[in-house]
Amino acid sequence: MLLVPYVTGHLSEHFGDDSYGTLKGYERLGGYQAARRALTKMSPDEVIEVVKDSGLQGRGGAGFPTGVKWGFMPKNTDQPKYLVCNADESEPGSFKDRILMERGPHAVLEGILIAAWAMGARTTFIYIRGEYGFPADQMERAVAEAYAAGYLGARAMKSRFDHDVVIQRGAGAYICGEETGLLESLEGKKGQPRKKPPFPAQYGAFGMPTTVNNVETFAHVPHILARGAEWFRSLGTEKSPGTTIFGVSGHVTRPGLYELPLGTPLREIVYEHAGGPPEGRTVKGVIPGGMSMPILPADQLDVPMANEFLRERKTMLGTGGIMVMDDTTCMVRVASVVTYFFRDESCGQCTQCREGTGWLDKIVNRIERGAGVPEDLETLLDVAGKMEGQTICAFADAAAWPVQGLLRHFRGDFEEHIRRKKCPFSGSFEL
Amino acid sequence: MPKITVDGNIIEVPDGRTLLQALDDAGLLMNGVDIPHYCWHPKLSIDGSCRLCQVEVEGLPKLQIACNTHVADGMVVRTDSERVKSAREGVLELLLVNHPLDCPICDQAGECKLQDYAYDYGVGESRSREPRRALKKNVDLGPTIVFDQERCILCRRCTRFCDEIPGTGELVVVKRGDDSRIETFPGQPLSNAYSMNVADICPVGALTTKDFRFKVRVWFLEDVPGVCTGCSKGCNVHLGVATNKVYRYTPRRNDDVNETWLCDAGRNTYAEIGGAHRLKHIQVRNDAGQLETVSFAAALEEAAARIAKLRDGSGASALAGLASPHASNEDLLVFRRLLDALGVERSGVAVVRGDGDDILIQPEKAANEAGARALGFEDAAPVAEAIRKGQVSGLITLGHDVLDARYLGGSEALAGLETVIALDTHQSELQRVAHVIFPVRHAAEKFGTLTNHAGRVQRIRPAVEPSWEAHPEGAVLARLGQALGLPGFDGSFEARAVSRELGSVQSAFRGIDWDSVGEGGRALSGEGT
Repeated sequence: MLLVPYVTGHLSEHFGDDSYGTLKGYERLGGYQAARRALTKMSPDEVIEVVKDSGLQGRGGAGFPTGVKWGFMPKNTDQPKYLVCNADESEPGSFKDRILMERGPHAVLEGILIAAWAMGARTTFIYIRGEYGFPADQMERAVAEAYAAGYLGARAMKSRFDHDVVIQRGAGAYICGEETGLLESLEGKKGQPRKKPPFPAQYGAFGMPTTVNNVETFAHVPHILARGAEWFRSLGTEKSPGTTIFGVSGHVTRPGLYELPLGTPLREIVYEHAGGPPEGRTVKGVIPGGMSMPILPADQLDVPMANEFLRERKTMLGTGGIMVMDDTTCMVRVASVVTYFFRDESCGQCTQCREGTGWLDKIVNRIERGAGVPEDLETLLDVAGKMEGQTICAFADAAAWPVQGLLRHFRGDFEEHIRRKKCPFSGSFEL
Repeated sequence: MPKITVDGNIIEVPDGRTLLQALDDAGLLMNGVDIPHYCWHPKLSIDGSCRLCQVEVEGLPKLQIACNTHVADGMVVRTDSERVKSAREGVLELLLVNHPLDCPICDQAGECKLQDYAYDYGVGESRSREPRRALKKNVDLGPTIVFDQERCILCRRCTRFCDEIPGTGELVVVKRGDDSRIETFPGQPLSNAYSMNVADICPVGALTTKDFRFKVRVWFLEDVPGVCTGCSKGCNVHLGVATNKVYRYTPRRNDDVNETWLCDAGRNTYAEIGGAHRLKHIQVRNDAGQLETVSFAAALEEAAARIAKLRDGSGASALAGLASPHASNEDLLVFRRLLDALGVERSGVAVVRGDGDDILIQPEKAANEAGARALGFEDAAPVAEAIRKGQVSGLITLGHDVLDARYLGGSEALAGLETVIALDTHQSELQRVAHVIFPVRHAAEKFGTLTNHAGRVQRIRPAVEPSWEAHPEGAVLARLGQALGLPGFDGSFEARAVSRELGSVQSAFRGIDWDSVGEGGRALSGEGT
């Protein structure tokens, strides 16, 4: 029985059915037919073509076209190729991968099997966030069932394809959701991103060609193969096909997970599906895609939730984790939560990130304490600007963007703190 | 080879290298093409984390780190654009946000890359109003190195060095973000044969050697190029000299010999130059059997008389000569000529041996065994044997390595000799048996060339002047030959001039002399490097 409110699409329509999480239940509802067809009747290139045609974009945050990414894997190589399922879901505000693993683990596994066939990967590592106990249990159980049924292991699904799946648990670092930080952690090393080049398709897990995809990305794949690229393109927008599971949290009356086509207006998600803010409150700002994405003010909620529209408003879809803040929210405190988080989670390799996250955090906290000075705001923007786009991974961007977004839309909150030498808000959450 | 354009200048660079590597290979990095960098080091793996070496590459939207950007034909690079300048300013400002700025008490001040780059590329003032991180200033990492956490800029050269060069991996970065710091594992101190290199490669004053810290401000030091004499590797060093004293050796890059490294044992041999155990007195044993300090001329007279007496009495076959593997090729050439002129056939070179490794350290604990061999001095074991059997009455010995257990195992066997003439830099048991003692100059006190284990001839020059009377072995022997009236000996010795005669004696030296070998040295013909 599912306890969170949700709207369904192809990913989630059976989440209310407990048996969907079992192999038997999944197969009764048509599961593994797409994988069987792919492994026995389709060539790897045909599979990649279908995924390319579908326009599926990675659902882990960056939105890179999945079929194109799969095409980066070397075709003629003696090295074993690996696939990694990124189930670290460390972005604050994101909890969609969790429910996919809890309620539909076999759909994820089937997607993995199809992707592995398409890229000729010998083994898949599913890297699951350390805090995700139940999701990991569900995936473990699903993997065991799939092995018992002969869907994994040698001659998977009676094809000539061997594939193993190994589950690895994370140990609690945000940066292990970054694909090369994940690979380091997977190898038993300190989780810190690798410089690129080389890219994972050349030098990935254990130095072998590797592709890393998000849980939800995999979960879409069996549906795309079963119903076709055209069908997938009929959902969502022209440039951002398909659905995604939006996780809505914060000041709404029905926080939860909502599978909706990409391009659904943010206002519809917040007000119609998530119930809008509590009685007597108004929405002040909404973070559209997980904490690292710049916030949008209340007057921009009509934006369709797809990257081509969000980018015009200097933000991105990210992981689709929507965080709603009402008029009682102090945006300087929001900034301090954000800067504290990124200061704590920076791996510390790159100068700009290691030192910049700490500096931003100190300035924001000083403003919140009432000790800010007018020049602080320019310093914040300048430091954020110097962190952006200059580091090994996108973490420094993720730390800089939210601060830039908050200052872009809620500069008044900061200025008021500085002018009144104290936080003008009462009743907003305590740190 | 690909051609690239850097700031408008077309440069031909080797293929398959990154921009910093290619510029370094071409000798242009920070020497015509200035791309400041911290984490990148020519002999360590690429880290790409300090982000200081960002440059603009035409066609790429973002700035690229020069250390990890592979060169390609036609690549157009700008190292001086506004964007690049702004990025450098950003990195330097951020590195300084938490830096203690304790330059007045920091040993690195004056040779600090944070100071240098902050002056050259920084904004010059700080906007930060925040308290700086307060961390430990004096962490004992091991027997040789002290760590100041506040000064560390986390370039991680030191951790990569320990992982990649000695392979001992003592240093790691613990924690993350701005809590990151360099640490050792509990109970596993930084302790390897090359540990002190981490202080050399540390761009700031975070890692300093216990030996050098607080001794002298580096701007008083003159860096004199020289060669380490700890073993036969011949690692190139800078002798850090102030007030006629050598304060330290630091590695001098030579990719054909020691790359950028120096072992701890070799590095510490600088202390032997001005050490308390130097031989400082010209001495002659008197009729009472006591050593007496005399003038150089008196000692020469005594030595010549003793040698002449032996030669004229028992014949040259009663004489033996032992070459020092610490002496220069020029000193040894004069010795060779002296022995030949005297008709002495029994000669050799004694070398103390110890452990070696496949990084730098060679088993021969002397700088010039190969040079001695090239000049006809074979291993001294037969000479030692002859001494023990009483077949030798007189000995001229350069150095005291023959006392090593591999040869005589002490001075006992020399006690019965009629004449022992010793030329040496340091005190030893030899003084108990020698009849004439000439203090001679250390490699840091004279001109000359040394031949390393691989046959590479490298030059030395005086970095300090001994405060007592000491001459190079060659000068003593030249005067001795003159005193003996030997043909061809006019008493003069000028090492750089003598170096030009090496080739006429030993063909391997042909074309090699002090001037022509340059600061990097040259291989003997027929030898590798």
